Amino acid sequence: MPSNSDESNKVPIKIGMKAYLSLIIAILFFSGLFLNVDGMKWLGAFDFTTLGGSFGTMQNPAKNTFVGEAGISAKAGFLFALSLVPTVMLALGVLEIFTHYGAIRAAHKLLTPLLKPILGLPGLTGLALITDLQSTDAGAALTKELYDEKVIAKKELIIMGAWQYSGAGLINNYFAIGSALFAWLTVPVVIPLILMFIMKFVGAIFVRIALTTFYKRDFTNE
Amino acid sequence: MSNTHKRETNNPFDIFIIGARKGFNIAINNLMPNVVMAYVIAQILNLLGLMDFLGIVFSPAMTIFSLPGVAITVLLTAWLSASAGTGVAVSLFAHQQLGITDITILAPAIFLMGSQLQYMGRLLGVADVPKRYWPLLMVTSILNAIIAMLVMRVIIAL
Repeated sequence: MPSNSDESNKVPIKIGMKAYLSLIIAILFFSGLFLNVDGMKWLGAFDFTTLGGSFGTMQNPAKNTFVGEAGISAKAGFLFALSLVPTVMLALGVLEIFTHYGAIRAAHKLLTPLLKPILGLPGLTGLALITDLQSTDAGAALTKELYDEKVIAKKELIIMGAWQYSGAGLINNYFAIGSALFAWLTVPVVIPLILMFIMKFVGAIFVRIALTTFYKRDFTNE
Repeated sequence: MSNTHKRETNNPFDIFIIGARKGFNIAINNLMPNVVMAYVIAQILNLLGLMDFLGIVFSPAMTIFSLPGVAITVLLTAWLSASAGTGVAVSLFAHQQLGITDITILAPAIFLMGSQLQYMGRLLGVADVPKRYWPLLMVTSILNAIIAMLVMRVIIAL
């Protein structure tokens, strides 16, 4: 573990084994792969859903948690929302650790070579796109900067906008807000996340095609 | 929260606490007010009979995704705000109007078309994407959500 504490203040360029390892572990942790493996209950110690745990029950053990039964409106909503708090705390706590060890940087590195062939974007736009996964506002600011410095043209700006707009702030929103739904997902938590990530590309490809066909005349002078 | 105490530590336990604290703040400031609001709106819609009405009107369209008609309220709300959409989903689940497979099908759609109204300003406006293309990007997001629901339906059936 590196001891010098100022390393995290700079944007680190080097992406070591630790970052890739952290990305892999992050994916495994949320994948549900270690959920209820027969005869190996201890693997649950490395699984998000298992660690999320559950509340004890009240009068009717089959369905009552402390939220109770047949509550309605604001009061029921408040208690229910309160029951979602631990999942959100666990999700963001763990996400913070993976981010600290470079999972996001590793993802950036892996994404960069895909940008040109798939979206027609230069590799250095990767940082703005990856940033959008964590913060919509920071991603938007970085994108504007690239456009202002003429690193990207208008068409590329729109494609980047498309990628960011659908599922904006994906990782943060999914784990912060969406974790309220995690307890009831019938698939591993990571599946919807991967699907949304792929759909960001699908949407951006669709926009790229639309710009070169339907909106073609807008870009004849560029 | 200020950034002053950001990552002064390399201790994973301390880092977890920083994240968990963020999670608590998000839960208290974003999630809970939205869920309370969603519960109250759902109650109003229920009392007025509008929930049933929306459910019946949209049930043919929603069968494409093998969802009940009321799922449309989740999608319409999510378009305005992903957290409010999540709140509505949670509320409908608590009232047994949505089941766990419905929630699973809806989850990616909520975020793919989520908070579009808000992000027009915060994303498209800030990044200076020309207004002429905003409708295209909006339609793309909704298409993304529709495809995602179809894919989730298939994944669940596996």
